[in-house]
Amino acid sequence: MAVVETGAAPPSVAEVRPRGATRREAWQRRLPLLPALIYTIVVTQVPFLVTLWYSFQNYFFDTPGGAHWTGVSNYKQVFTSAAFRGALWRSVIMTVTAVLVAMILGVAFALLLDRKFIGRSIVRTLVITPFLVMPAAAALVWAGPMLDPNFGLLNYLLQPFGVHHVAWLSTHALGSVIVVMIWQWTPFMTLIVLAGLQGQPADVLEAAKVDGAGRLATFRELTFPFLRPYIELGILLGSIYLINVFDAVRLMTNGGPGTATTNLPFYLYEQVNNAFDVGGAAAAGVVTVVLTIIVATFALRMFARVFQFEGAGS
Amino acid sequence: MTAVHARTRPPGAQRFREMSGNVGWGLIAWVLGIAFFLPVLWMVITAFKPESAAETWPPKFTFSPTLAEFRLVFSGWGPYVTHSVIATVVSTLLVLLLGVPAAYALAIHPVKRWQDGLFFFISTKMLPIVAAIGPLYVIALKTHLLDNIWLLIILYTAMNLPLAIWLIRSFMLEVPGEMLEAAELDGAGRIRQMGEVIMPVISPGLVSTALICVIFAWNELFLALNLTTTNAATLPMFLISSVPQEGLYIAHLSAAATVASVPVIIVGWVAQRSLVRGLSMGAIK
Amino acid sequence: MAEVKYVQASRVYAKDAPPAVDALDLDIKDGEFMVLVGPSGSGKTTALRMLAGLEPLDGGRIEIGEKDVTWVPPKDRDIAMVFQNYALYPNKTVAENMGFALKMQHVHKDERARRVQEAARLLDLDDQLLGRKPKALSGGQRQRVAMGRAIVREPRVFLMDEPLSNLDAKLRVQTRAQIAELQRRLGITTVYVTHDQVEAMTMGNRVAVLAGGKLQQCDTPRQLYDNPVNQFVAGFIGSPAMNLQTVPLTEEGARLGGTVIPLPTAVRTAASQAGLRELVLGIRPEHMHLADGSGQIKGEVMLVEELGADALLHVRLAESGNQVVARAEGRKPPAPGQDVTFRVQPDDVFAFNPATGARLAG
Repeated sequence: MAVVETGAAPPSVAEVRPRGATRREAWQRRLPLLPALIYTIVVTQVPFLVTLWYSFQNYFFDTPGGAHWTGVSNYKQVFTSAAFRGALWRSVIMTVTAVLVAMILGVAFALLLDRKFIGRSIVRTLVITPFLVMPAAAALVWAGPMLDPNFGLLNYLLQPFGVHHVAWLSTHALGSVIVVMIWQWTPFMTLIVLAGLQGQPADVLEAAKVDGAGRLATFRELTFPFLRPYIELGILLGSIYLINVFDAVRLMTNGGPGTATTNLPFYLYEQVNNAFDVGGAAAAGVVTVVLTIIVATFALRMFARVFQFEGAGS
Repeated sequence: MTAVHARTRPPGAQRFREMSGNVGWGLIAWVLGIAFFLPVLWMVITAFKPESAAETWPPKFTFSPTLAEFRLVFSGWGPYVTHSVIATVVSTLLVLLLGVPAAYALAIHPVKRWQDGLFFFISTKMLPIVAAIGPLYVIALKTHLLDNIWLLIILYTAMNLPLAIWLIRSFMLEVPGEMLEAAELDGAGRIRQMGEVIMPVISPGLVSTALICVIFAWNELFLALNLTTTNAATLPMFLISSVPQEGLYIAHLSAAATVASVPVIIVGWVAQRSLVRGLSMGAIK
Repeated sequence: MAEVKYVQASRVYAKDAPPAVDALDLDIKDGEFMVLVGPSGSGKTTALRMLAGLEPLDGGRIEIGEKDVTWVPPKDRDIAMVFQNYALYPNKTVAENMGFALKMQHVHKDERARRVQEAARLLDLDDQLLGRKPKALSGGQRQRVAMGRAIVREPRVFLMDEPLSNLDAKLRVQTRAQIAELQRRLGITTVYVTHDQVEAMTMGNRVAVLAGGKLQQCDTPRQLYDNPVNQFVAGFIGSPAMNLQTVPLTEEGARLGGTVIPLPTAVRTAASQAGLRELVLGIRPEHMHLADGSGQIKGEVMLVEELGADALLHVRLAESGNQVVARAEGRKPPAPGQDVTFRVQPDDVFAFNPATGARLAG
């Protein structure tokens, strides 16, 4: 990037007017933000406050009498519940596995798509399609036409490898769900890493060529360090999206067999839908939110650091 | 002096290595690309099968294609697709209506502590909506909004708003400051600046943002599943209903899945670049 | 250190397009500072990249040290290059940037550090800078690191692609002198690309002027200035540019500004042999001498640019109305609107064929 040694940098837009020159000015600035802000607060925070309130109540849908105060007994139940801990653990496993494998595959695909070859744009389109398939559709298509023990395509393709009519959703339920998550999210990782690869300045790579670096050395010394912020961004965003995966679990295995594939979102869903336990679900929900806040704080800090290569606003 | 441009060629061994290198990796890319795409291909192929040809062993690759399942899908999907379209379009419009001014306040003439505002929005995205589903159900029940398309619209708007604000903000940051200063010197107030300078410049960005919101709203299952039954049921619900308790359904399911996915697939194919930008919340241009 | 030869080297980008570099023949001597100069699109950067191995050749060959390197990859040519935008490795420190090539050659860590230190000293790079990353450096510092990266390698040939174009004017003048001095000291064959003819004239042992992919003239700066071989070189070299006017031919010479400028017999013969009725006359601004009233070329001053030591007069000549630029004493230049006369020495007048641009006789 050319750097011209002149005097001070031109003022950014915000500095053109001194900030908050008058009170009226300050309110004029806030006004456009208010509708979105108020809307978001009302629609997201109010349900959360209600959840908080219900978490201290004993409230079962199917029991007449409504809600009554029960202190922290719901919370005690959550912390002692093996089901909750199991769901939490499964969420962690599913998210971490899916994110890491998707990122590794994503880097591999990005490297392949960065080279020129015949039909490159077609292959790129093929690779990103899984991400565009409606998650509900993807779940159902994998569950049926792909993985069915009796007529699924996968069993047919794996026959030469000695695989016979495996009931994937029974014997390898968690793995199957994770596979679908990876299938749907690898394109996301690929696109992010590819954007990074294509953003590498060409003359730096040429300088490396002149300096005697072969393909492997160039990747190790220059390309991979350059890609790190993109990889971090992909992992961060992917985790945020993947931890909330619900469709695949509900539609492929319904959380089963047993609780083999029950993650947090599904667990909470079951509490409401099957157990009709609003109070218990609320407490579990609050605990989930608190955990998420803890993780999100780290994530946000990372976000800020990763986003600094965008150059935060005026 | 004009020369006869006799094309010189690199020594044979080098040429072979270069070419086979390119062809080799290209081949691998094709194989992996097709393998990755296979389930989608299988879904579309199966959609054209008659049910009898769909559940066979070994799976059939040749059969006489039929549009029967598609016809069934189209005859059944009426209310569902209508609800999906309404929820998607209206929520996206609301998102733009609320999001553009908010992004303006966070980008062009920032409020004090605009970073806090930004991070507040993104934090709502990180909180799992699943946690509040019980109370949400109760609230919906008490406000008589259960199974009402407006409930979905309200929730989808809140779902997409943070992403849209981040995205639109990133587009607004690209408007050159000098353009706005020139407009101001020409006498344009804030609103005129917005309308005549900013909106035209960011309009492709607004389209990308709208597309992302459409994709997320269209595909949304969890809220629809829990908060609607018949009067507001959306397309994902229709998909679920195409899996009956008994009987053959694979071809029908494939047809429904194909029809449900095609709009988003086309949008995504056409707007690939916008997709990356949208999903990374504007971090990657 | 080695000599470099372009032998009928060509580069064509699109089948029907004119070549970017058209059959270039250039011999660069061992230890010479050769400047490739020309306007944008002249092919100078392409020619440099062909030498580096970053562009393939579509015709001809390139030799370094008498060996044909046309198909040898860049890393095996023993060359070092300074890129226009420096192309520093963003995630590496200055020391790592400079030592990178040595690392690729598996040079031992200590030896690497020693050579990096030496190059840093040569370039006036502070020790504390060695640990910083490129984004923490100023433009001038980055430029020196880019040079350091090349020097450390002790290659046979230095390639420089407009290394000064991103610096501000003052720094450019400073660095120009430093680069020339450095090359003299190190004695490494250098090929330097620039679009700035002042850089070319002050830095090069010899200068190759390119236009449209073709070599126009390769000579010492003095020769290019005094003996341009065609109209392009005459008009490109020298600042302010030589006055080039299309004028009608007469019996004894050419008509300009109300008088006939005498031309040598050889020139007149060449002109009549080529069947010319008019030709392009070239006179440098400093060769138009102000004569108070006694000069033959008459004109009216339109604009005076005062530069302090000199003044540049934009003059509209009598009769034909051509606009020329003349250099005058800075102290008391004529005023705009004033009528003036000029004298020229016949030796200072160049004549060019208007159709081909080639110099007539001379």
